[in-house]
Amino acid sequence: MGYARDRTQDFRECVRAAAIKQGMDQANLTKLLSSLMMPKALQKSSFLSAATETMKSINTLQSFVLARRKDYTDRHRSTEQDRDNIEHEVGLFVKTCRERIDFLKNTIGKDESGGQTGWISGLICSSHNADLVAHQHGVVLILSEHLHSVTKTFDHFRAARFQEAIEKSMPRLRKGASSTKNMKDYNYEMNQHETMEIQELKQDQLEEETRALQVELTNLMDAAQETERKMIEMSALNHLFSTHVMHQAQQIEMLYQQALDATENVVKGNKEIRKAIERSKSSRTFLLLFLFVLPFALLFLHWYN
Amino acid sequence: MALSIRQRQTDAVVKMLNLNISVVSGGTADEEVYKVLILDRFCRDILSPLIRVNDLRKHGVTLFFTIDKERQVIPDVPAVYFVQPTAANVERIIRDASKGVYETFHLNFSSSIPRSLLENLAAGSLKGDCTQRISKVFDQYLEFITLEHGMFSLGQPLTYVQLNDPHAEDKDVEMTVESIVNGLFCVIVTLGVVPIICCPKGGPAEMVASQLDSRLRSHLNERNNLFMEAGHLGSSFQRPVLCIFDRNFELTAALQHVWSYRPMVHDILGMKLNRVVQGGKPYELDDSDPFWVANSSAPFPKVAEVVELELKKYKQDIEAVNRKTGAKGEMSFDEQELLGNTKHLMNAVNSLPELTERKKMIDKHTNLATALLGEIKSRSLDGFYNIEDDMLGRGSVDKNALLSVLKGKGTKEDKLRTAIVYLLAVETTPATEVEAIEGALREADIGLSSFLYVKKMKSLNSTFAAATAGNRNNLVDWAEKLYGQSLSAVTAGVKSLLSGGRQLAVTRAVEALLEARAGPETEAYLTFDPRVPKSSSKVHIQGSFKEAIVFMIGGGNYNEFLSLQELGQRLQPARNIMYGTTEVLSGKEFVEQLSTLGTKMGLGGSQGVIAPAM
Repeated sequence: MGYARDRTQDFRECVRAAAIKQGMDQANLTKLLSSLMMPKALQKSSFLSAATETMKSINTLQSFVLARRKDYTDRHRSTEQDRDNIEHEVGLFVKTCRERIDFLKNTIGKDESGGQTGWISGLICSSHNADLVAHQHGVVLILSEHLHSVTKTFDHFRAARFQEAIEKSMPRLRKGASSTKNMKDYNYEMNQHETMEIQELKQDQLEEETRALQVELTNLMDAAQETERKMIEMSALNHLFSTHVMHQAQQIEMLYQQALDATENVVKGNKEIRKAIERSKSSRTFLLLFLFVLPFALLFLHWYN
Repeated sequence: MALSIRQRQTDAVVKMLNLNISVVSGGTADEEVYKVLILDRFCRDILSPLIRVNDLRKHGVTLFFTIDKERQVIPDVPAVYFVQPTAANVERIIRDASKGVYETFHLNFSSSIPRSLLENLAAGSLKGDCTQRISKVFDQYLEFITLEHGMFSLGQPLTYVQLNDPHAEDKDVEMTVESIVNGLFCVIVTLGVVPIICCPKGGPAEMVASQLDSRLRSHLNERNNLFMEAGHLGSSFQRPVLCIFDRNFELTAALQHVWSYRPMVHDILGMKLNRVVQGGKPYELDDSDPFWVANSSAPFPKVAEVVELELKKYKQDIEAVNRKTGAKGEMSFDEQELLGNTKHLMNAVNSLPELTERKKMIDKHTNLATALLGEIKSRSLDGFYNIEDDMLGRGSVDKNALLSVLKGKGTKEDKLRTAIVYLLAVETTPATEVEAIEGALREADIGLSSFLYVKKMKSLNSTFAAATAGNRNNLVDWAEKLYGQSLSAVTAGVKSLLSGGRQLAVTRAVEALLEARAGPETEAYLTFDPRVPKSSSKVHIQGSFKEAIVFMIGGGNYNEFLSLQELGQRLQPARNIMYGTTEVLSGKEFVEQLSTLGTKMGLGGSQGVIAPAM
C-alpha cells in the first residue's frame, strides 16, 4: 500500500535547533518541547459537544439495529409482538435523534461565549464568521446523512418483513381451496354409497345444510384472509409512500425557502439599482452644473484682471 | 497482484483524511471527527477525479478551502492541509498557525518536503509561538493525478517545449528532469513495488531513467525506506517493468485525428480531469458511468448506435412500468390482477430512481454524441482521419487527396496536424510535394512554424522516420512488391477488415519488452534495476513481465492509452499495463507546442542552431 512518511520527528528536531539558535533559555526550551510532545486537550465549544453526543447516540442506534437484525428478519426467532416492539423503539430513537439535530441546526451561529440575547448580538454574530457557520452546517449535514443511512437499512428490513408477511398469507389461500375441494369430493363419494332410504333422505338434507354452511364459512374465511393480505399490502405501500412523501416534503420546503430568499435578494437588488440610478442622476447634474459655471468664473477672473 | 493506481491513491487519501490514524472499521466517534480540509490548486486537481464532495463528508470533512483564500477563524476543529511543499505554502501555513485559525494543524505535503523548508517552518512557527498547534507533518508522495484505473498524469505542462527548446540552458533542463523524476518517484512509492526500468538510448528518457534509478537506490539504502514490506518480492517475475519513452519516439500518435469515443471526447470537446463542459453544463465522465466504461474504445458510429439502443430499451422499460401500474387509466377488478398491481406498484416506485439515473446518463451521452457529430460535420474530421490512417498505413500518400483535404473544411490546427503527419509518415518526401503542401497551407493563412520545425527535426534526426517504418502491414508490403498498385487497393480493403492492423510504435515496443524478446527496435534499450547493487555489470531479465508501466515524457493522450489497454488484453496471458504521461495533450495543444518551438528556432532558420543533444 502507499506509504506516507512521518516527518513530525524531523520537525521537532528543527524546532529544537531553531530554538537553540534563537538563544532560548533552558526552562523555556523544555517547556516548548514538552508542549510539543503532549498536545493540550481540545477545548470544545458547546456546539461541538452537543454534536459529538448526537453522533454517539446515532452510533448506538446503528449498533442496536444491527444487533437485533437477526432477531428481526429471521422468521422463526421472535414473535410478531417482539418485532413490533423493536420497531417502536427504533422509531422513538430516530425521533429523538432528529430532534437533537434540529436543535443543533437552530443553534448555528448563535453566540456561545456570552449569555447575551437580543437582536443586537444576533446582528453582530451574523456578520461575524461565515466560515464557522458553514462548518456547523457541514456538521449538521454529516449527522443527518448518517441518521438517514441508518434509517434506510432499517427500512430495508421492514420491507423484507412485509414481503414475508404477504407471502405467508398466499399459500394459505391455496391450501384452503384445496382442502375444501377434498372435502367436497369426499362428501360426494360418501353420498353415492348411501342407501336411498327416507331417513337417509333426511340425513341427506342435513348433510346438504352442513355442506352449505361449510362452503359459506370457507368463503368467509377466504374473504377475510384476502382482506388481511390486502391490508398488509396497503400498509406496506403506505409506508413506502409516506417515506417518499416526507422526503419530498423536505425538498419542497427547502425549495420554498430558497425561492423566498431569492425573491428577497431580487427585491433588495432592485432597491440598490434604483438608488444607484438616483445617485448617478444627481451626480451628473452636479457635474454639468459645475462644468457650466466654471467657464463663466474663468471669464470673470480674466475680465477682472 | 493487480496494481490499480487509482485504488491505492484513494486509499492513501482516505487514510490522510482520517488524520493518518489507521482506518478502524466501525469507527468510534472520537473527538476529532469533524475536520476542515485546505488544499492548494495542484492538490485540488489531484483530488477532483478521485473523490466527490459527498464522499468527503463521509470521512468527516465539513468544508474545504483553497489555501490562498482569506479564511476566518474556526475554533476547535483540526485542519488537514494537503499542499505542495513550496515556500509560499509554508509561509501561508505559518501565518495561519500564528493567527490560530484552526485548533490543530495536520500538514500533509504531496511530495517530500526538503529540509530547508522544514527548518523555515520550524523557525516561523517558533516566532509565532504556535509550535504546539502543528501536531503532525507527513510526506504523502501523492503528487500525481490519476485519471483512470490505469492512467495517470503528472500535471506538468509544457515539458515537451522545455526539453526540446534550442535555447534552453542546462539547468532548466535539469530542473524539468528533476520534477519528472519526483513525480515518477511518488507514483512508484504509491504502488509499493520497485520496478525494473527500461528506456531507449539517448534523449530525455535516458536522463530520467538514470536519475530515477539513482534516487531509488539511495532511497533503498536508507534505514527507513518505504519498500520494506515489499522486500520479499525480489525476483523480477513479480516486479513490473517501467518503460520510459520520449515524445519524439513517435510524434504521430499525439497529432493524428482520432475515431474512438473516449479520445474523441478528449480531443474535440476538451475533457479535463474527467470533466466535460458542453452546452454550459458540466458532465462527469468516470468509472461510475457504465455506458462510458463499456463504450469508450468503440468507434464513433458504433457509439451512436449503442446510444440509440439504450434509449429504446429505456423507453420500453418505462412503457412496461406504466402499463403494469395501470397509469393509462384501465380499471380491472379481477382479484388476481389487483394483487399483481400492488406488487407492481411497489416495484415501480422502487425502481423509479434507478430509471431516472439511466435517463440522465442517456441524455448526457446523447448530448455528447450530438456535439461530436456537429463538430465532425463542420470540420469534416472523417476526411482528415481517413487520409491520416491511409498515410500511416501505407507509408505513401495520394497527393491529390491530401491537397484537397488541406484546401477543404477544417480548422487550422486540423490541417497542420494532417500536414505534419504526412511529413512523418511518408519516408521520402520529394521537395515538390512539400512545396505544394506549404503553398496550400499558406493559402489557408496558417502559421507554418510547427510544420517547418518538424521538417527540420526530420532532416536532422532519422529516428522519426524509423519509428514509423514498421507501421506498414506486411501483407500490404508483399502485395505491392509483387503485383503493384492494382492489388494494393484490394489489400487495403482487406486490411481494414483485419481488425485495425496498424499499431502504434509505442505499443510494439512495449509488447517486445513485455515478452522479453530481443526485437530489432528494443536491442538498443537500456535497463536499470535499482535493487541490484551497482557492481554487477549486466542486468538479467528473467522471463517476461506480468505488468508494465509505460511513461511518456512530453505529453500523451487517450489514443495511446486505449491501444495499450488493447495490447494488454490481447496478450496471452492478459497483462496489466498502466500508462502515464507528464500531461494529457490534445492534438491542438501539441501543435501549439510545436509552433512555439518553431518560433523559438526562428521558423526553422537555416542558421543551423542545432538543438543540444538530449
